[in-house]
Amino acid sequence: MTAANAATPLLDVRGLGIHFRTEAGEVQATRDVTFAVRPGERVGIVGESGCGKTVTGLSILGLLPRRSSRVAGQILFEGRDLLALSAREMRKVRGRQISMIFQEPMSALDPVFTIGHQIGETLRAHRGIAKKEARERAIEALAQVGIPLPARRVDEYPHQLSGGMRQRAMIAIALVCEPKLLIADEPTTALDVTIQAQIIDLLFDLSSRTGTALLFITHDLGVIAETCTRMLTMYAGEVVEDAPVDAALERPRHPYTSGLLRSIPRLSKRKTTLPSIPGRVPSLADMPAGCRFRPRCAHGAPECTATQTLVDVSDDRRARCIRQASLTLPGAVA
Amino acid sequence: MSTLVEVTDLRIHFPTSGGSETVKAVDGVSFTMRRGETFGVIGESGSGKSTLGRAVVCLLKPTAGTLKLEDTDPYTLGGAAFRRKRRDFQIVFQDPNAALNPRMRIRESVREPLDILGEGTRAERNARAVAVLERVGLSREFGERYPHELSGGQKQRVNIARILTLRPKLVVCDEVVAALDVSIQADILNLFADLQREFGLTYLFITHDLGVVSHISDRIAVMYLGKFVELADADAIAERPLHPYTEALLSAEPVPLPSHLRTDERVMLEGEIPSPISPPSGCRFRTRCRFAQDICSAQEPAWRELEPGRFVACHFAGDVTQKGRTK
Repeated sequence: MTAANAATPLLDVRGLGIHFRTEAGEVQATRDVTFAVRPGERVGIVGESGCGKTVTGLSILGLLPRRSSRVAGQILFEGRDLLALSAREMRKVRGRQISMIFQEPMSALDPVFTIGHQIGETLRAHRGIAKKEARERAIEALAQVGIPLPARRVDEYPHQLSGGMRQRAMIAIALVCEPKLLIADEPTTALDVTIQAQIIDLLFDLSSRTGTALLFITHDLGVIAETCTRMLTMYAGEVVEDAPVDAALERPRHPYTSGLLRSIPRLSKRKTTLPSIPGRVPSLADMPAGCRFRPRCAHGAPECTATQTLVDVSDDRRARCIRQASLTLPGAVA
Repeated sequence: MSTLVEVTDLRIHFPTSGGSETVKAVDGVSFTMRRGETFGVIGESGSGKSTLGRAVVCLLKPTAGTLKLEDTDPYTLGGAAFRRKRRDFQIVFQDPNAALNPRMRIRESVREPLDILGEGTRAERNARAVAVLERVGLSREFGERYPHELSGGQKQRVNIARILTLRPKLVVCDEVVAALDVSIQADILNLFADLQREFGLTYLFITHDLGVVSHISDRIAVMYLGKFVELADADAIAERPLHPYTEALLSAEPVPLPSHLRTDERVMLEGEIPSPISPPSGCRFRTRCRFAQDICSAQEPAWRELEPGRFVACHFAGDVTQKGRTK
C-alpha cells in the first residue's frame, strides 16, 4: 500500500448513529461509530448479537428501513457522503461500487430465477451489456468463485445448489461488477467448518487479487484472525476497540475484547473453568451512563462513569477506555 | 468406571419422501460410554450425529443393531418399565426456544416433568422446581416469567433445569451452545461441568465445534456420513489425529491467534459431504481424501483398535496420515 492511498480512506464512517423508532419510543442502535477502510484493506467487525455490527453494514448500503430508522453522521465513500445521495444515485453505488453478501444465501437469492440470470441482472443494470454477453460473463464469474462445471451451473436454480455453492454464487453476484468494497455479514456462519475454510480462502484470494476491500462482519474471532488485517470490536452499539488484528489478539486494550478472547474454549486448558463475562449486554432502551461496559467490567473505577471516547493508543489503534494505559489485559496468549 | 451405554453396530435408516430410497443416517456405529465421562461426538451437518443422540435416548428406534442402557436393551422392556428406564436418559436441544412452551411460566415448564411423574404434592414439586432453577443460576423471580422475557442463555439454563428435576444418569447435549454468543457459551459450558461434578452425570456431547468439544470431552468420536471414523482420548484427537478427515477438520478450524502463532499450511478438503442415500463404496471419505488409493474404493476399512483405546477406520492409519502432517 502506498503512502498516498493510506492517507485517503476508501470508506470513512464518522459519528454514525443509527436510531430506530419503536412502539416504546426511539432507541439508538449505534452511537458515535467512527472507522475507516483503506483501498484493498480487509477489516473485521466483531461483536456479539445486538452490538450493532449488522446495522452498521446495512446502513453503508442504505438498506435500513426508511420509515422506521434515522441515521445520523457521515458515511464518506471516496469522499462522497452516501447519506446525502438520492435513492437513484444510491442504486448506482450498490452492486457496482459496494456489494454485500449475507449469512443465509438462500434468502438472498431469488428462487425463481437461474443463477446465471441473477449474475447477469447485476451486469445489465450497471454495465448495460446484452443478455448473451451477460451469460458468458456469468459463466466466467462462476468459474472464478470455484464452482465446478460453471457452464451447466449457470442455468440452475438456487435450490439445486448446496449451501456452500450458494454462498459461492452470492459472492459471484457481488463481485461481478468489480466493486471497490465488499461487505460480508457472517458469510460463513451457516456453513460447515470444512466449507467455511473454502469460502474464507476464496474471499481472501479474490480480495488480494482484485484489490477489493473487505468489511467482514462476524462473531467469530478465529475467522477475523485468518482473514483480516485490522479489527473493530463493537459492544452495545459502540466501537470499543480499533486495532491491527495481531496486536489486538496479543494485547487487547479494551476489557471487552480481552473478555471475548478469554471466553473462547480453545484458548483455555482442557476441562478448566472458562473465563466468562459476568452479566449480559444492556438493552438498547436502558444503556448505562458512562462506559457501557462498566457494569460487567472487572476494572471499573470512578472515572468510568464519564462518557467514554475512542482514545488513541498509538498511531494505528484506538480504544474506548479511559483506563487503557494503566491496564494490562490478557489476550489470546496469556 | 462401569459401562452405562453400549451401542453395537447401530443403524438408523429413514425412507425418503418418495419412499423408494433409504437415507442411511447412522450406518453401523459401535461404542461404549463409561459412567461419569463426557463423550464428545463431532461431525458436520448430515454426518448423523444428532440422529445418533436421539437413538441413545430412545427417541428413534434402531433399524438394526442394539442399544444397551445399563446392560438392558430398552426395547425388550414393557411400556411402564421402558418409560422408567428412559427417565434416566435425557436430552437438551440446540434451540432453547423450541423446547419451551411460550404460554407457560418458566416455573411451570420446569415443574412439568415432575407433574407427569406425579411425585409429591404440587407445593413440593414447585419447591423442587425453584430449587433446581436456583441451582442453574436463575433466581426465584425468573420462575414467574415467560420464555420471551429471557435471553437465549437463560432459556438454555431453564432447559437444563427441566431435565435435572428428573435426576438423569445421562444427558445428551445436542449442539446446546451453538445458538449462544461466545461469552454466554462459556457460562453454559462451565455450568455443564459443575453439574457433572455435583450429580455424577454422563454426557454425550454432540457438536460441530472443535473448540467446544475438545474443551469439555474426555473422549471424542469423529463422525462422517453415518459412521465413526475415529475415536480416542480428547488430547490424542487434538494433538495426533490418525484419520485424514480428523486432520482436515482440525486444520479447517479458524484459530483466533496472532499470525506468528498460526500455521499457514492447511489441509483443504475438496468438494462436499456426499449424499447419505448412496454413500461412496468402500471408504466413505475417499472422495475427499488426499491419500485415497484403489483399495479405498474397493474395500471398506475395518473399525480397528490401532493403539489401546484408539479406534480408527482407515486402511492407512498409522503410516500415511502421520507422514502427511509435516512437523
